[in-house]
Amino acid sequence: MLRFVDAKCMIGRRNAPREGSPVTREDFLEIMDRCHIEKAVAHHAMAVEYDMMDGNHTLVEETAGSDRFLRQWCVMPQTFDEFLSPAELVTEMKKKDVKSVRLQPKTSAYSLLPYAIGELMGAMAECRVPVFMDAGETSWDGIWQLCTDYPHNTIVITSPGYRCARQLAPVLAACPNLRVGISNYVVHGGIATVCRHFGAERLLFESGMPVSSAAAAVSLVHYADISREEKELIAAGNLESLLSEVTL
Amino acid sequence: MNWAAYVENGKPFDDIYIFDVHGHIGGDIRLQLGNHTADDMVNTLDRLGVNSICVSPILAFASDWVRGNELALDAVKKHPGRIYAYATPNPFYEDCDLSRYLVPGNGILGIKAHGEYQAGTSLCDCRFDPAYEIADQKRLPVLFHAWTARQVAEGMDVASRFPNANFIFAHVGFTDADAKAGVITGAKKYDNVYIDTAISSSYDGTIEYLVNRVGDEKVLYGSDCSFFDCCHTLGKLALSRLSDTQKEKILGQNAKKLFAI
Repeated sequence: MLRFVDAKCMIGRRNAPREGSPVTREDFLEIMDRCHIEKAVAHHAMAVEYDMMDGNHTLVEETAGSDRFLRQWCVMPQTFDEFLSPAELVTEMKKKDVKSVRLQPKTSAYSLLPYAIGELMGAMAECRVPVFMDAGETSWDGIWQLCTDYPHNTIVITSPGYRCARQLAPVLAACPNLRVGISNYVVHGGIATVCRHFGAERLLFESGMPVSSAAAAVSLVHYADISREEKELIAAGNLESLLSEVTL
Repeated sequence: MNWAAYVENGKPFDDIYIFDVHGHIGGDIRLQLGNHTADDMVNTLDRLGVNSICVSPILAFASDWVRGNELALDAVKKHPGRIYAYATPNPFYEDCDLSRYLVPGNGILGIKAHGEYQAGTSLCDCRFDPAYEIADQKRLPVLFHAWTARQVAEGMDVASRFPNANFIFAHVGFTDADAKAGVITGAKKYDNVYIDTAISSSYDGTIEYLVNRVGDEKVLYGSDCSFFDCCHTLGKLALSRLSDTQKEKILGQNAKKLFAI
């Protein structure tokens, strides 16, 4: 049986959950069990909807004692002392066992250009911390710019959407440091096509919970017209490999 | 039935009857689709164990309705019993008479009304009425593209005016709360209103939520392939918390009755 490790899941009590969607930690674990997802990289809704560090600390509290959730912090540059400096961030991540970060430039209104986040990205590159971001947080030109400006960072773009194939392909070709999550990449045969052109190493399984369906996402991998080895890489291998390289 | 075992092994669902009420063939200038010919579609059905799919060619509602409907006829002739089709009206052509396509036994089973691709035309625009009248006379299913609350309201107006036809609201309007509420209310109010499951990014729990509110008789499996990969919704249904009987109804038995197959 394929092992799944989820590259994107947002836990916590959201402002406007859709009816029937998972909310509590138990809700998430029930779905993970049903879909045979061993672990999930998780960030916290409060860090997206309210206050980044409050949300990041709440994530630590709510995942304490569980080995099913791999902590991910939402981050932004330090402006007017609102957020941690890159050095402080690294220290805190090490203390709290956080091995990946998530950018949200649109949600939190900051620039991805080097004058704004260059120092932050440098600190993450030094520790080989993978940097995640939803595709909807910028344009595909912006994603190309991000990957090009920070060639020493591994960039993971999550929830890319089914309409993006024409934008995605040239950015994958141009940017070897780009990885892509599959939860919302529901293009018919899309996973097999990306594997054929760019290799399975570029794709990561993500459930996209609670907005997207874990059951649908695992099905995309199970039924993809690719080899067993490629499925193993996408389901867990690629993400585990990235996280194992973190030197915090 | 061990549904999870099928999914986890990537095996086709050969032991149950599956009818996909919502598919497309042909490409789309707006986005890059995956493999989308009729032959590609049959390969996909084989890989997943889906018995049949009912398609509307994108060409028919996005550009040339005549060539599009001819493409549908070609597909059902080439793959009888595997591919069925909807005839697609274009409200801008007064000579758009779909009766020539809706001939018993030729594999064209119903009507697809899009509206949105046709300059945002309302689904209750009177120029669609000739098509709805045929559906009403012949008791055919009509598939509505219904993402928004406006489209849901328009479709409900049509469903109330043509009670002998059956109306399937695609995508369940799950992109906004008003659309969702409207389609659930309508499915409970009108005997001839049904819902399909084609939602690109819906969450776990969507289908259970729907079934709890409108009943398992009113929900039909639709994939929206080749806009979306067929396995996306199929896997979500198979791994849902619904009972075996509910899954079988939604995946095929309800459609079998509605499409009189």
